[in-house]
Formats: sequence, C-alpha cells, structure tokens
Amino acid sequence: MGGISRRGMLGGAAAIVAPWPGLTSAVRADTRDSVTIGWPSDVPSWDPNERFTPDAQSLFKMVYDQPLDQDAQLKLVPKLITKWELAADGRTLSGEMRDDVTFHDGSKMTSADLKWTFFDRIKAGHKVDTANVWKRVTTFDTPTPASFVMHFDSPFATSPNWLGFLGSYVVPKDYMEKVGVDGFLAKPIGSGPFKIVDYQLNTRVVLERNEAYWGPKPRLRRVVIEIIKDPSARVAAIQSGAVDLVVNVPVREVTRLGAIPGLTGQLTPITRVILLQCRNDLGFADENVRLAASHAIDKVALSKAFYAGAAVPLSVPATPGSPGFVADYTFAYDPELSKQLLAKSGFSLDKPAKLKMATFNGQFPSDYDIARAIVQMWKKVGIDAELEVVEYAKYFELNRGAKLPEVTLYTFDNATGDPEIYSGYLLNPKLPFSAWKGMDIGQKVIDLFTVADNAKRIAGYRDLAKEAVETGASIPLLQSVQTSVRKKDLSYTAFGNGWVLPQDMEWS
Amino acid sequence: MLLILARRALTAVPILFVVSLMLFVALRVLPVDPAAMSMPPSATLAEIDAMRSQMGLDRPLLEQYGIWLNQAAHGDFGQSLHLRRPVLRLVADTLPATIELAVAAMLVASALGVGGGLALFALRGRRAELAAESATTVLMSVPEFLWALLFIFVFGVLLQALPFTGRLDASLPRPDITGFLLLDAVLVGRVDVLWSALAHLVLPAAALGLAFAPPIVRVLRSSLLDVYHDDYIRQARLRGLSEGRILCRHALKNAALPMLTLMGVQFGFLFGGSLLVEVIYSYPGLGNLMVDAVRNADLPIIQMVGLTYCVLVLAINTLVDGLYVVLNPKLRRR
Repeated sequence: MGGISRRGMLGGAAAIVAPWPGLTSAVRADTRDSVTIGWPSDVPSWDPNERFTPDAQSLFKMVYDQPLDQDAQLKLVPKLITKWELAADGRTLSGEMRDDVTFHDGSKMTSADLKWTFFDRIKAGHKVDTANVWKRVTTFDTPTPASFVMHFDSPFATSPNWLGFLGSYVVPKDYMEKVGVDGFLAKPIGSGPFKIVDYQLNTRVVLERNEAYWGPKPRLRRVVIEIIKDPSARVAAIQSGAVDLVVNVPVREVTRLGAIPGLTGQLTPITRVILLQCRNDLGFADENVRLAASHAIDKVALSKAFYAGAAVPLSVPATPGSPGFVADYTFAYDPELSKQLLAKSGFSLDKPAKLKMATFNGQFPSDYDIARAIVQMWKKVGIDAELEVVEYAKYFELNRGAKLPEVTLYTFDNATGDPEIYSGYLLNPKLPFSAWKGMDIGQKVIDLFTVADNAKRIAGYRDLAKEAVETGASIPLLQSVQTSVRKKDLSYTAFGNGWVLPQDMEWS
Repeated sequence: MLLILARRALTAVPILFVVSLMLFVALRVLPVDPAAMSMPPSATLAEIDAMRSQMGLDRPLLEQYGIWLNQAAHGDFGQSLHLRRPVLRLVADTLPATIELAVAAMLVASALGVGGGLALFALRGRRAELAAESATTVLMSVPEFLWALLFIFVFGVLLQALPFTGRLDASLPRPDITGFLLLDAVLVGRVDVLWSALAHLVLPAAALGLAFAPPIVRVLRSSLLDVYHDDYIRQARLRGLSEGRILCRHALKNAALPMLTLMGVQFGFLFGGSLLVEVIYSYPGLGNLMVDAVRNADLPIIQMVGLTYCVLVLAINTLVDGLYVVLNPKLRRR
C-alpha cells in the first residue's frame, strides 16, 4: 500500500493533460506528403555565398543549386553546368550550362547569374566568404547566356570541385541588384527544389516544393526543419514522433532508438576526419616523441568505445574511397615501439615527455572523451599530456597567433573528398587550418597547390600523406560517422559527405 | 510614483554608461580577435589585419569605446561577427520571445511560490513540516535545465501531450506584429494560434518557473512567521477575527514585501536562466542567441545582450519600487 508507482505517476500526468484538446496533435509530425527533420544547427545566413558551415549544406541545397553536384558516392556530376573543361595549365575553366533553369520568382537563370555569383558581387565588395576561393578569378566571360569561361590567376586544379562545395550556390543577379543584400536576406530565393515559406532564427524553417523546378520534382510537398540544438531534445523529438528524422544524436542512442518498433538507426561514415593537428616545435619538435605519440594510440579501441566500431581507423588524413586515400598503407598501433622511440630521446615511464593537448568539448560526438582516452594511452608509454579545452571558433585565431599547444584534437570536413582539401589544407603552413609550420613538408604542399595535372597531383598528395604520417606531422585517427534515426517507412539517400536531402526522401 | 520613475530614469543613464564601459573593456581584453572571427577560416593574415584596421581595432581602447558610444547613440550597435546582421535587429527580434517566456515563468513561480509558502506556513509545528521543508530543498537543488529535460521526457516522450520545440505549430501561420506571439495571436484573432502558442509555452515556462519557486516559498514562509509575532496579529486575534481573515487581510500583505523584493531580483535571474532552457526547447529568444554568440565569440552580440539584460533589470527594479509604494502606505507619504 502507499507509495507512488511509475504507472500511477504517468496516469496522473495523463489525467492532467488529457482534458486539453488539441495539444496531443501538436506534437505529431506531419502527414505523408511532408517530412519534419530535427536538425542540429541553423544556417548562419540565407545568403549562401556570405557565410556557411558544413552542416548548412543540406539546408542550402533545398533552396539553391550549385553549378556542379556530387552523387551519393561523391563523384562530381553535372547540375546547372552540363559540360566543363579545365585547361591543361589549370588556369581556365570553361563550360556550358542548362537553359531551362528558373529562379523561384520565375526569372530565367543565365550565365550572367553565374558571373554575378562568382565574380561580380565579389568585385563589388559584397562581404561573402566565397570570395576567399573565387578571388582567384581574374576575368569571367559569358560568350552566350548558356556558356562561360573563367580565368584564374594561378593553376586552380580543384576549381570544378569548388563549384560543388560549401558556399558555391548560384544566386539571382537581377533580384539581388533590385532588392539589395538585405532585401535578399529578408526574402531569399534560389532555383532549388524547395522554396522558403517561413523562417525563424534558431527555431524552424518551413519549405514547400518548387512546382516549377527544372530537375526531378521532390516527392514531398512540404519540409519542416526543426532546429534542435540540444542532442537530448533531438532524441526526445524522434522518440515522441514530433519529427520524422534526426541527425547527430549520440551513438548509444542510435542503438537504443533503432530497437524501438517503427524507428531505424543508421551510422554513416562520412568525409569528416578526426585527427590530431601537430605543431613542429615545443614538445613536438622531436620526431621520436611525435611518432611515439602516434604509435601509442589504439584507434580501433577508440572507434569501439565511442562510435560502436563504425568509425573507420585511419592511417592517412583522407577517408576510404576518396582519391587521396592510400588503401594498402597501415600505420601500426605499437605501444612497445612508442616506448623505444621515447627511450631514444631520453624519456621513459619514470621520466615522461611532457606536453599539452587541446580539445573541443561538444564540437563533434565524444570529442572530449576521445581526448581523455588518448591522454591515458599516452600515459602508458611515457607521455604526460595536460588537457585543455578550447572553443572551436577560436582554433584559427590561436593557430594564427602560434598559441595552440603541441597537439590539438581536431575534425575536418571535406565534402569533395579531394586530397588538396584534406592533406593540402591540413598541412599547408600558409593556411590557418595547419598547426604544422615546418617547411620540409610545407613546401611540398605549397608546390602541390600549383600542379595542374590531376593524376600527378593525386599521386603527390598520396605520397605526401604517407610522409606526413611517418614523420609525425599528422596523426590521423578516425573517419567520423554521421548518426541518424528515422521512421522506418521514410527512405532517404545516405550521402558519403553527410548531406541529408529531403528531395531524395519518400514515404513507403 | 511618477517621481520614482523619473528618479530611476535619471540614475539609469550613468548605470548604463558604466555597464557599457565595463562590458566593452571586459570583452576587448579577452583573448579574442573580432577581426579574425568575422573572416572565413581561410582568410590570410594580411586580410585579417586589413579588417582589424577597418573595424578600428588598432586604435586605443578608449578611442574604440568613444566610437562605439557615438554609433550607439545613433542606434548603431554594430554587426554580428558570425551572422553579419545588425545586433540591434537580432536582439529586437528575439527579445519579445524571452520576455514572454520570463513573464510566464514568473507567473508559474509566483503561483507555486505563494501557494507553497502558505502551505508550508500552515504546516508549521506539525510533523509534515520537516518533510515539506525537505521537499523544497530538493526542488531548490534541481536546476532549470534538468527540469526542462525531465518535462520533455515525461510530457513530450512518455505522454506525448505537449510540444517541446519552438513557439508555434509548424502548420499554423506565424503572426508577426509585435513579436509577442500571445499578443499577436489575439490581435489577428486566431484562437488556434493562441492555443498553440500557449501549449508551446507550458513546458519551458514550467521548467523555469519551478526552478525559481522554492526561494519564494521559503521567504514567504519566513516572513509570515516573523509577521505573526507582531502585536497587530495578536490584537486581531483578541478582536476575534478568524485565522483565515488574519492571514489574508493582515499578515499576507505585510509579509509580501520581502517576497516582492525577492521576485524582483529573481525576475532578472530568470533571463539568465532562460539561456539553456531556450536552447533545449528550441525557443527563439535572447538566450538561444546568446549561447550561439558565446560559442562563436560573437562579441557585438554578447555586448548588446549584456546591455539588454542591464536595461531589463533596471526596468524590473523600477517596477518593484513602484509596487512597494502601492503596497506600503508609509512610502507614499514620504
């Protein structure tokens, strides 16, 4: 007798809310011709050229189109541009584009819009982050409304990749000139498969199908993106049925939720690498210490402990299947070798090498826990690392000011899969991504940026990746996974770069 | 009353000036470079230096503050580094949602606080008093974000009875007149919108309110215990007044003053408490904006939100002072 049972408590709570008509329907996701997605972050801006993040790509791709696209296996495929050709010297990119594309306001897209996006608005001084890539365009010719020629100031071998990457979305010239950037942000229009119906910062985007879309028409009429930043709230949202699909939930929750009838969980390896960014000085000036640190990390154990074994251990800073990946190369986990390397430099368990390690906390799943595990692995071989937490947003600033410690647990996303945007960006001492400033490796990277011959370029990056790992300039750890949970009867295409696109979704 | 408001308005100006200076200096001495934060990661050092110069960050700190103050006086509080939009507009867009949430939470906290305080007072000297006191201690030790997650689990997942994302059902049109959704729903005459907005407000307001109710319970009970030692209570009893009448007509009115002070202070804290609750409930308010700003080291937003909190606290204090005058006749005669 007495006491409050769980059933009794729930029954009581049900009695409280039951008389409130209409409330229960409010938490259900929509009907069969629509989908509600729980997404972890908002777009920084609805001007896709202005500000972008990897997570914003899926949202941008609903509203805007890119000149080139990638299929689920990351192969570059035609989109707005039907044919393209990079000159042998890598300084000219020419191509033809579709003539049947219209923007959401009904106006026709031409090569003038392409020129406006990648040249004119940059020259006009619009504060767009795409300028950092496309400022290399010296002239942009539009011989016909459906053709273009871009000239670069230096060989730009990855220019086709960049036409399908990050903020490279075509925006309407006439509309933007008419309403200005502020007007565009107030009512953004693109040429994509969905139109924005309602947007509220940090909360929700409501989109409706673009009935005049030039490409394959989406099967879903309406898409609601619920911006749910808290992982626990995203888990609750899918479990309660308030949304139909969520991404970036903790790995353990994917397993738990996947066991609930009507839901299915998925772990998709994506083009995001988790690695240790190393400096070439301080406690890491000694190659023996760097290599000892690298050999001491059991990547398989990290994957099992934090990603249910789904994250692929990496020996080079590139993901399997991407051009820069070296399939037949393995960097061994060998703690005994670590001890021997440390002994050569006068370190031991009793006299450990001391260094500092930076990590984010909450930037990617289990980041802080991975860092702590690595510190423990190092302790076993004679490396005493002091852990400090830094904000992701401050990484670049700390790096520019040479204020990062010897090693930083870092994640890097490269939806293109091109090795220039892996090893090239991660090890180019002139770019703020690279903590490594040594010119032995650095000069080789800088030289590779100007190689126009694609086969030679890819081979160069493969060699460079191996050399960087074997000298301890780079310590790759894992290929990251995208976690998702969805209703079982909702199908979608899992892209190798983490895109989640409602235009490919359908209910069975 | 008008005199109080005028006096408050006059004192608010130097307070705001000092707070703005403190915020400005504190944020500038942080090891964060606003110029670098406003550029894409691939920006070169030369480009960042040019931006630093353009933003005036290479000038002396006081000169920078003077420029900021001058621009602020003209309504320009700067641009968000991350979102690249005027911070004044961002704050203006998000503040009504937070005020709406804070007011609703205060109503919850007041109802629970006054009800709980009276209940605890009624239990004085009985066996149940210790249990009730322990219960308030337990309630007080649970932070608002934990209530938020617990409510989502119970009312969102287990019972699936209440929505827990956003302010309004996605299928309904969002009226945008004042930014206060409940008011806007009334203005456009949409009962369904009003109902949905209220349903979306229940859980975040309850989570915030419940976390702030226990101190009100404690203070009200303590004030009532003090007041019941006063002579006029004894005399009221001698006059044969009922206990209920003594409590409602005499004791509660006098015991309410310390509670009112506490509620005024707490109302300011509610805005701080809304940070995590807004993130958990995807509530498009100032707290949500602030959490992102801190994550992105977006100094202009942090500064503007800090100033906004200061203005709100000053406004609340003025309101509480006014209520004091209404409740305490002695102050009216001064």
